[in-house]
Amino acid sequence: MRLIDRLVQRFPKEASNVTTAELTTTPTEAVEHFLGALARRDVEAAMASIARDARVIIYPLGVRDSSDALRGVLNDLVVAFPDLLLRVKRVITTGDVIAVEFKVEGTQAADYAGAINQEKHLDVDQAWRFTVRAGLISEVHAYWCQQQLLRRLGVKRFDQIAIV
Amino acid sequence: MSSTISEPRSETAARVVREFFDRYRRHDVNGMTDLCDMTAGFSYVPFEIWGKQRVLRGDGKVRTIGKTIWNGLITSFPDLTNTVHTVEANDDGDVVVEVDIGGTQHLAWGFAKPAGRRYDAPHLFIFKVGADGLIQHITAYWDNAGMSRQLGHTEVD
Repeated sequence: MRLIDRLVQRFPKEASNVTTAELTTTPTEAVEHFLGALARRDVEAAMASIARDARVIIYPLGVRDSSDALRGVLNDLVVAFPDLLLRVKRVITTGDVIAVEFKVEGTQAADYAGAINQEKHLDVDQAWRFTVRAGLISEVHAYWCQQQLLRRLGVKRFDQIAIV
Repeated sequence: MSSTISEPRSETAARVVREFFDRYRRHDVNGMTDLCDMTAGFSYVPFEIWGKQRVLRGDGKVRTIGKTIWNGLITSFPDLTNTVHTVEANDDGDVVVEVDIGGTQHLAWGFAKPAGRRYDAPHLFIFKVGADGLIQHITAYWDNAGMSRQLGHTEVD
């Protein structure tokens, strides 16, 4: 559920007198809410910070799509790595644009990104660039090295990811 | 590069970083280095070459590891170029840049043998620019798998 919808649900009487702008959070808070929810492996709570019409580019996965695509990417991640650990290293605020460096760790428990499950441990440093409008994340650009990720999952060739 | 008295630090930092990529486009590695503090840090996060008994990483200082990697890239990709898409800066001197870097391979790069192919890779750079207008740290992220595929190199290592 989106943040604004949750607030309206919680404060129904006041909702008619409150503008969207008054309900907004700061850009940093929106991103921190997203990352906090992801760290708890709560994809729906994370998606509450994402605008429905958000533009999403996940460069290592070749994803250029909408918020639904992001939901799929996050779901795949938390299913494949049920002990997912997300360590935020740095949050950089430059107006409405927030860049975050973090490390993703976890033990593979299901196939992921074409790589079969060998119960390998993953640790990959990533940087995501978020744009926030009216309290919601309107743009996500994700950067990490898929070669590092596949190497840690025991993959030997880019053209035969499922073969080990 | 010196900043004017009235210029906000964010504008100075963004201007320095744009100049950095201009010089990179001209393959002026010494000029790039001149924009950095003597002890500027350097971290090319995806740069990771695995050997049997060692792993080489792109972490260190601009004047040692950074210059070596930049010179190596320019040697292997003689038409190496960049296109800066966004530059965002704040008054703490942080600068976040989205830039495409690419070129045509003429010499080996890592384990990728030269096949005359071209790559273009989206990068996210994060700079720290000091109050004196010198770059204090450079961090970069990109996807080496995409780069390798474009170059025709299909082995992870």
